[in-house]
Amino acid sequence: MKRILLISIVGLFLSGSISAQDDLLADLVKEDSSTVKQNITIATFKSTRVINMHSVEMTGEGNLQFMIIHHFGEIWDNSEGGANFARLLGMNSGFANTYMSFDYTPVRWMNLGLAWSGNTSMEGTAKFKWMRQQSGQKNYPLSIASVHVAHLDASEKLDTPNDLYWNRMSFLNQLLIARKFSEAISAQLVPSWVHYNIVPYGNQDLHDIFSVGIGGRVKLSAKQALTFEYSRQLNGYENVIDKSGEIVSYSPNLFSLGYDWDTGGHIFQFFLTNSAYASNIHQLSVNTVKDNLGQWSLGFNLNRSYAIKHKVQTK
Amino acid sequence: MKKVLLAALMTIVVLGLNAQTFKTRDGNIYFNPNKNQSNKEYSALSKEATAVLNADKSEVALLVPMKSFHFNNALLEEHFNENYLHTNKYPNGTYKGKLIGFDKSMLAKDGEYKLSSEGTVDMHGAQKPFKSPVTLKVKGGVATFVCNFTIKAEDHNIEIPDLVKPKLSEATPLDATISFKMN
Repeated sequence: MKRILLISIVGLFLSGSISAQDDLLADLVKEDSSTVKQNITIATFKSTRVINMHSVEMTGEGNLQFMIIHHFGEIWDNSEGGANFARLLGMNSGFANTYMSFDYTPVRWMNLGLAWSGNTSMEGTAKFKWMRQQSGQKNYPLSIASVHVAHLDASEKLDTPNDLYWNRMSFLNQLLIARKFSEAISAQLVPSWVHYNIVPYGNQDLHDIFSVGIGGRVKLSAKQALTFEYSRQLNGYENVIDKSGEIVSYSPNLFSLGYDWDTGGHIFQFFLTNSAYASNIHQLSVNTVKDNLGQWSLGFNLNRSYAIKHKVQTK
Repeated sequence: MKKVLLAALMTIVVLGLNAQTFKTRDGNIYFNPNKNQSNKEYSALSKEATAVLNADKSEVALLVPMKSFHFNNALLEEHFNENYLHTNKYPNGTYKGKLIGFDKSMLAKDGEYKLSSEGTVDMHGAQKPFKSPVTLKVKGGVATFVCNFTIKAEDHNIEIPDLVKPKLSEATPLDATISFKMN
């Protein structure tokens, strides 16, 4: 009796497996759901920039990105009085700083770029992706990237013996540590190190300037998001000597609020920031804008990417 | 009693073994939603479609993980996942249908056969009846099904913003190439 029971149970199992095979699709779905996949988190931020600072995102593999970062003049100049209405929050002030760059991602983990970074300077950038937030086969809670910038002041050469191009160079090394907490909320931690090859007029012999920043995003809809960033300079902002020999105190803070709008082809990022400079190096080491909100400026980032390398080929 | 049961069991097992099913894990699906098919920015390909063919019943089923579609332009891939197909919520696209004009004897002989398939596409949470011609090529123990078909975004509740609409085909042409090794 026991044996009959056993056989009938086995029989039931077998017939069960056969009827499962009957529904071909159910079979596939079952197989698919039982395999552990590698779920790589995408779109932690919309753009390769949070606002002014780099985000952990990188231009896609084989893609070339063109980017314009535009800073208008200060939104309210007290000395201009009523003319401020004509200045239209700095957009019509005749003053602007523009950053234009091309960057390309030859392999998934590396991005190389060249930029005209405002104030007659040029920059070369390299960005590396060290870790991608993911779950499934592997569990990594964070995305980690690093940015390395070499900046050259390319303004007209002075007739002083020390004015070699090597001495006009400065560098930025940044670590980007980000996490996408949910579909809507992402945050990023950004320690930065700015190095000047030669500091104008001594600057208390301070070659290295450090800061720590945070950035974040809250999505409003699939295509719109609010962003913010804040970076605090840790040294070299009080009583430093500037190019003209004057003692100045810089603002140690970089603060920006932004609004991302993805049109489907371009990504627009509108922002309000307390720095007029276009280059991260200036923003994080010689920011002149203090607490006066009138000195803040409006701006926008605009970027577009093009597929250069066609991974997907047609027949 | 035991013998009867055993015999019944055996028939079931034999029946089960006889059912000729083939499986593949590397089916290719290609598409380009752009109106201008020579604009390769939009070209996307998945090489990870899984499919089963039941040769006795002329039935097929296919499953493609939506995230396995990779685009030439990474930004479009992001949009595909985040804004259009919502692939976190609807991870798979599936098809289940019959092969019309198919006979399992075709698999035994090299040649090219014109068939058609009729069934249901399930994508982005919406099911839609499907009908399309299919070409079957049999060569050297490999049966390759090739299907060129179209899918309309609106049939599957995929919202395309007005700004983007003029760039896209009204019905997206897709090419599926699914090969089964028969040994």
